[in-house]
Amino acid sequence: MHGFLEYLIEQVKAAEEEIKKLEAEGRQDEADFCKAKRNIYEICNTVTNALWSRPEAGLKAVKAQFERFRTQWSAALDRAKASGDARNTVIEETKLAALEDVISHFAEVRS
Amino acid sequence: MTQENALRIFKSLSDMSRLRIVQSLSKGEMYTELLAERLDLTPSTVSFHMKKLEEAGIVSSRKEQYYTVYSLNKDVLDESLFSVAASEPEKVDEQQKREEEYRRKVIESFFDGGKLRSIPVQRKKKVICYEVIAEKFDIGKEYSEKELDGIISQIHEDYCTIRRDMISEGMLTRDGGIYKRIR
Repeated sequence: MHGFLEYLIEQVKAAEEEIKKLEAEGRQDEADFCKAKRNIYEICNTVTNALWSRPEAGLKAVKAQFERFRTQWSAALDRAKASGDARNTVIEETKLAALEDVISHFAEVRS
Repeated sequence: MTQENALRIFKSLSDMSRLRIVQSLSKGEMYTELLAERLDLTPSTVSFHMKKLEEAGIVSSRKEQYYTVYSLNKDVLDESLFSVAASEPEKVDEQQKREEEYRRKVIESFFDGGKLRSIPVQRKKKVICYEVIAEKFDIGKEYSEKELDGIISQIHEDYCTIRRDMISEGMLTRDGGIYKRIR
C-alpha cells in the first residue's frame, strides 16, 4: 500500500511540474486541464489514506470508492458531450484518464 | 469588426497551442485527429481549442463523413493588427440582438414540447433554461414545496436539482417551506 501512496504523491508532483511547464509555454487552458488531473491524484490519495487503514473497510472500500468516482465522472462526461460543452468534455476526460491510471495501479496492491 | 470580436480574436490567439493550430492550418485544411497527432494533444483538447478559434471567427469547419475539417478564415487574419485593435464597441441593440439569438438557440436545443431534455452543464445555458421554467411561476406568489415540485416535475424529472439551483441563482426564495419567485 505504501508503494501505491508513493505513486499517487509522485503523480501529483509530476502534474505540478507539467502545469508549470504548460504555463511557461503560454498554454494556460491546458495547464488548467492538468490541474484537474493533479486534483484527481490528490483526491485518490486522500480517499486511500482515509479508507484503507480502517479494519472494517480496507482495500475493498477503496476500490468501491474508485468505482463510484468512475460512475459519477462517466455520467458527467456524457452530459458535457451531450450539451456540446468542449471545456467540460476535456476536463471530464482528463479526470477519467487519471482515475483509470489510478485504478490500474491499485489493482497491483496486495496489502 | 467590433471591439467584442477583436477581444475574442486576441483572447483566442493568446495561447501557444492555438497559435500552433493556426500555423498548421496555414498549410491547408485539417481534421481534428490529424491536428491532435501533429500537436501531441488529445482530440478533445483540439476540439476545445477549435471551438475557441471558431467563436473568434478565425477558423471555419465543415463535416466530411466522420470527420470535422477545419480551415482558416483568411479574411479575418488578413485584417491589419491596427484595424482589429482600433475597432469600435458593438452597438447596444446589436449586442442585445445577439444575446436574444443565443437565448433562442439554447431554448430550442434544450426544450422539446415544453419539456427540458437535460439540465445544461454550462451555467449561462442553465440560467436561460431556468428563466424559462421560472415563467411558470407568478412573481411574489407563495408556493408550497409540493406545488413547486409538481410544476417543475412536469418539465424535468430532476425537480430537486432545479429547485435548489433556482434558489442559488436568485430566481426563487425559500422561507419556512414557502417558495416565491423573485425575478
